[in-house]
Amino acid sequence: MSQPISQISLSRLLPQVFRGMEAAERIQQSAVWLEDAVTLERGCRLCIQAESGSGKSSLLSFIYGNRGDYDGQICFDGQDIRGLDTAAWCEIRRRHLALLPQEMRLFPELTVMQNLRLKNQLTHHKTEDEMLALLDRLGIAEKPVGQLSIGQQQRVAIIRAVCQPFDFILLDEPVSHLDRNNNLIVAEIVTEEATRNGAGIVSTSVGHGLLLDGAQTICL
Amino acid sequence: MQYDKTVWQLLRKNISRGQMLGYALANVVGLSVVLIGLLFYSDSQHDNASSDRYFSQNYVVLSKRVEGIGFTAQTFTEAEIDTLERQPWVKKVGRFTASQFAAKGAVTLGGKELSTYLFMESVPDEFFDIKPRDWHFSPGDRRVPVVVSKDYLTLYNYGFAIPQGLPQLSEEIIGSLPLTLRLTGEDMKEEYLEATIVGFSSRLGTIAVPQSFMDWANAHYAKTEPQGTSRLIVETDPLASSDMSDYLSSRGIESSADTSDAGNIASFLALVSGVVGAGGLTVCLLALFILVLSLFLLLQKSRQTLRGLMLLGYHPREIGRYYALIVVATNAITLIVSLSAALLCRPFWDQGLVDIGLGQGAVWPMLAFAFIYMALATAFDLFIIRRRLDDIWKKG
Repeated sequence: MSQPISQISLSRLLPQVFRGMEAAERIQQSAVWLEDAVTLERGCRLCIQAESGSGKSSLLSFIYGNRGDYDGQICFDGQDIRGLDTAAWCEIRRRHLALLPQEMRLFPELTVMQNLRLKNQLTHHKTEDEMLALLDRLGIAEKPVGQLSIGQQQRVAIIRAVCQPFDFILLDEPVSHLDRNNNLIVAEIVTEEATRNGAGIVSTSVGHGLLLDGAQTICL
Repeated sequence: MQYDKTVWQLLRKNISRGQMLGYALANVVGLSVVLIGLLFYSDSQHDNASSDRYFSQNYVVLSKRVEGIGFTAQTFTEAEIDTLERQPWVKKVGRFTASQFAAKGAVTLGGKELSTYLFMESVPDEFFDIKPRDWHFSPGDRRVPVVVSKDYLTLYNYGFAIPQGLPQLSEEIIGSLPLTLRLTGEDMKEEYLEATIVGFSSRLGTIAVPQSFMDWANAHYAKTEPQGTSRLIVETDPLASSDMSDYLSSRGIESSADTSDAGNIASFLALVSGVVGAGGLTVCLLALFILVLSLFLLLQKSRQTLRGLMLLGYHPREIGRYYALIVVATNAITLIVSLSAALLCRPFWDQGLVDIGLGQGAVWPMLAFAFIYMALATAFDLFIIRRRLDDIWKKG
C-alpha cells in the first residue's frame, strides 16, 4: 500500500472478548462498538475516552493490524484490512500509521538514540539533529532506556512514533505518566508532526488526555 | 537492507553460545564420522591397479574336475575360455602351458645325488607374484630359470629332509644349487641343461619356467600332439566375485582359492563403512534436532523483542536474515571442520588399503554428500526460522 490512507472506517466492530455482551449498557452506549459506520478522516483530531478495560488499546491494536480478534470490519479507504499481507502491513507501519503503544515497547537494553534509530533507519524520516532537538524539547538525555523513569520512557516512545511519515498517529494513553507541562509539549510536537503530514491524530485516555487544540472527544 | 548492528545487538542477547557450540560440536562429530565412513567406503571399493595384490584370492587357478579315473586330459575349450573372460568377476585370464616331454631333474646334496622326474608349466609373466631375476630364455641358452612353489620347499624342509638325513635349505641356498635338467624327446634323444631356481612363488602351485622355454621345448621334445589348456589362472575382481562360486560349480570347474563371499575383503569393508556411516548419520540427525530445539527456544525467548521490531515495521524476513546468518555461518564452519577432519583421518587407513590393492578412491562422493547434507540441513533450519517468525507475526 503506497497510497496515503485518507479514511479509516469501522463497521459493527466488537472485540471478541465482548461477545455475548452486546446488550450490555456500556456496549450500547459506546460510540464505536457495534456502530454501523464510524469514520476517521485524515486530518482529524480525536480523543477517545473510556474507563479502563473498555477496549481502548484493543481498538488501536485492531486498526494497527496487531491483533485480529474482533468481529465486524475495519477498512482503509474501503479495503478490508484483513486482506492485507505482511509486506503491506510493514509498509503501512513505516509510512502510513504511527503507533504509541500503552506499554511503549521500548528496548531497555538500548540507549535512547538507539531506540529512535531503530525506527528511523526504516523510514529515514528524521535527521540525527532533528531527533536530538525533539529529545531536547522533552528534556531527555542520551542514556540506556532501562535507566529512565516511566514518564521519560513515555516521551522517548512519543518521539520514536513521530520518526516516520504517517497519515494517522494512534496514541494509546500518551500522557498517562506526564505532568501538564510535558503534556502540552507532547501535544505541540504531535500536532506539528501531524500538521506537517496532513495526518489525523487518534488519542485515547482514561480521563487525563492529551491536550490537543480543537479535538473531538468521543466515549468508547 | 544491510545487517544493522543495533538489531544485531537486540537479537544476539538471547543466543546461547553453549547451545550453538553444542550443536556445532555434535554436528562436527556426526558429520565427520559420516564423511570418514564415506571416504573409507570410496577407498575400500576402489581397485588401485597401480599396486600389487596382497590377497591370494584375487587370483584363482581353475581346472576341470576329474571324475573316477581318466586317461584323457580335461581341458578347457576356446569357447569356454571366451565365456569365462566375459564374466564380470574376471579381470584377466592366463593359460598354463604344460610340458609335453619327459624331464628329469637332478641335484647333488651332501654327496648324495637326488633325481626325480619333473613336470613343468609356464604362465604369462604378469600372473607371477614375484619378479624373479634373469627370467628369460632364448633358444640356444644352456641355462633355464625355474620358479618353484613355496609349498614344495616347505614340504622338503619339514616333510622330507630330516627323516632322510638331508639338510634343511633356505631359499637362498637352494637358489645357488646347480640343478641338472634332462629332457628326453620322442626320438629318445636326450639334452642336458642347467636349471637355476630363481624364486619361490606363493601363488603358483607348480614348477614354472619361462613361456619362451616351454614353447621351444615343446616344439623340440613333445612326445604327443599339443593338448588343450587344462589349467587357467584368473585374476578376479573383488567387487564382483559373488557370482563366481555359482558359475564354477555349475560348470564342473574346480578352483584353488576360497571364493566364498566371506573372503571378499571389499564386501567386508563396505559393511564396516556402512555401519560407521549409519552411526554418524544418527549423530548428525540428533545434532540437527538439537539445533531445531535451540532455534525454537531462542525465538521463544526473543518473542517480545521480535514483536517489538515487527510493530516498528520490520518484516519477519528481515529479522530472519540475522538468524539465517548465524545458522549459515555455524553450518559452514561445521562443514569445513568436518571435511578437514575426514581428510586428515585418511592417512590412517590409506597405506593399509594401498597395501592390499585398494585405496585412493574418489573424494567427490564425500564432498557431494557433505555439501548436499549441509545444504539440506541449512534449508531445513531456515525453514524452521521462517515458520517460527511467521507464527510470531500472526499470533503475537
